[in-house]
Amino acid sequence: MNFITLAVKNLMRRKGRTGLTILGVAIAISVLFSLIALNTGYEIELNREMDSFGAHILAVPKGCPYEAASLMIHGGVIPKYLNISDLEAVRSIDGVEVASPLLMYQFYKRDEATGQNNPHIVYGIKIDDMREIKPWWRVEGRFFEDDEKKVKVVGRELAEKENLTVGQVMPFGPHREDFTVVGILERTGDQDDLLHFLPLEEAQRLSNKEGKITTISVKVGDLGRVGAVAVEMEKIPDIQAVTMTQIMGTITNLTGSARSLLMTVISIAMVISAFGILNTLLMSVNERTREFGMLKAIGASGLDIGKMIMAETLIITALGGLLGTVMAVAGSTIIEGFVKGMLPYAPLGSFIHITPELVAFSLLFSVGLGIVCGIYPAFKSSQLTPMEAIRGGLE
Amino acid sequence: MTAILEASGLTKIYRRGREEIRALKEVDFTVEEGEFVSIIGPSGSGKTALLNVIGCLDTPSKGRVILDGTETTKMKERDLVRLRREKIGFVFQQFYLIPTLTARENIELPLLFSRKGERGRIEEILDMVGLSDRGDHLPGQLSGGEMQRVAIGRALINDPKIILADEPTGNLDSATSRMIFELFRDLNRNGLTLVIVTHNLDLARQAEKMYTLRDGQMAGCERPDLPGNGRDGRR
Repeated sequence: MNFITLAVKNLMRRKGRTGLTILGVAIAISVLFSLIALNTGYEIELNREMDSFGAHILAVPKGCPYEAASLMIHGGVIPKYLNISDLEAVRSIDGVEVASPLLMYQFYKRDEATGQNNPHIVYGIKIDDMREIKPWWRVEGRFFEDDEKKVKVVGRELAEKENLTVGQVMPFGPHREDFTVVGILERTGDQDDLLHFLPLEEAQRLSNKEGKITTISVKVGDLGRVGAVAVEMEKIPDIQAVTMTQIMGTITNLTGSARSLLMTVISIAMVISAFGILNTLLMSVNERTREFGMLKAIGASGLDIGKMIMAETLIITALGGLLGTVMAVAGSTIIEGFVKGMLPYAPLGSFIHITPELVAFSLLFSVGLGIVCGIYPAFKSSQLTPMEAIRGGLE
Repeated sequence: MTAILEASGLTKIYRRGREEIRALKEVDFTVEEGEFVSIIGPSGSGKTALLNVIGCLDTPSKGRVILDGTETTKMKERDLVRLRREKIGFVFQQFYLIPTLTARENIELPLLFSRKGERGRIEEILDMVGLSDRGDHLPGQLSGGEMQRVAIGRALINDPKIILADEPTGNLDSATSRMIFELFRDLNRNGLTLVIVTHNLDLARQAEKMYTLRDGQMAGCERPDLPGNGRDGRR
């Protein structure tokens, strides 16, 4: 027998209380775990989404706020346009490697299954420029040529939702013209999976925006020159240049308050749970003073009793930490759905990132919680004189 | 015979609110090595207070205790822990067994604190208290008498110089009580020193010496096993 087995056997005397305390710790730890996983995952996913946009600078019409520009990388549509002539002006700036024009528009289509009108987003693109911005694009079938008519490429998820196959001919646009799906993009894991891609001129024709574009994505050869290029771009009368860094900053600001609220909730949950554990432990220590008296009479020192209480506490919090981590991993999708609903801007991909470091952290944290909560009851019980203990401690 | 325990002038005053309770008043008390001593007295007479003071669970307000040649009254708690561990075995009225530990584990418990590894003695002790076939039972599966045997076994495991028992049969019926006293007598025959507090006169008379405590004072000492040798007065 050692202190650990003694502690386990002691805990088994009050199975209900022990179980509930463990559960309390588990809930606190699982909240902590999920929210930290979400928070780190959010950054990672946001960066990934920025990378997958491929551009360093976005040229948007003057007067378009950063917030709207931020939504654009998500497929948001803004009702202001640049002229195609601006494209040439941007291309002529020193340091611009690729400038890819983009016309976005949105239409609603009734979904037969649910009866709801769902928004669909169309990107009119120059295929060669776009492929330079997004070199990872792969396609089932083929990409269209810029001068082709009545062709389109669709994202993988969209194709699955609408049951589209390569070569399929479908009515499209306001006049329900017969468009051919020439290619389906391989899954990219971002907004591209949900989009319709048309040759730029076709998109302009269908939306009656001849000669107009929504934005220009710019890739810069030398990353050190992003700022300088943006300054040059701003000199073009119509254009406002927004760098990815600025967009990141905007999104971080947008979500910052929601995230700090979440962090406050975690901290409060931790404090409440710590006091809950402390209260349970103190109660059980008070109930057991006579037993401690007996233990002292049969040779236990105050330190021995403190060690025993500490072992009991650590077992409770370690088990709670383990259970909480398992609960958090198992329930991560539910929590993610909940948190996504609370944030003003959420990346599309799953942003729960469970790393070994995080698992180790939450287990260590639960042990730390045990030490913090156990130290006072352990000290208190070790300080009892045998006589106080035998007589029940409190008179 | 040498004295294993010598208490002189023991006074113990408790305070309960403003009230002062004089539990012991100038008690002198000696136990020789190998003796079987009982202390009898009505409740509130100071029996338990005396046992706790000589067992180093409590400190006297006045007077001194010498246990196995060492004065304990002024010792530090750390040394008292060692003393209790090595020289004294306690038996309580309520047994105080840990319900989730088997009989064997309950007996083994003091070894955890004394860091002694001699687990071989456990079987010997189970046998000594007549529980060799009950070692794996939990206290809940044992009768009252058996639980007290486990508690006695636990008191014996560290090979103490003296066993102090506080109302060891207070929760037991008379037949079981007699068997427990039988066990004490057996242990005493094997050389163990025993001090037992009880209010059961019949049982107390089975000891070699029977002290009577009344209102915190020693009221007498008898030697029940020596016929004709009646009260020999206050020691």
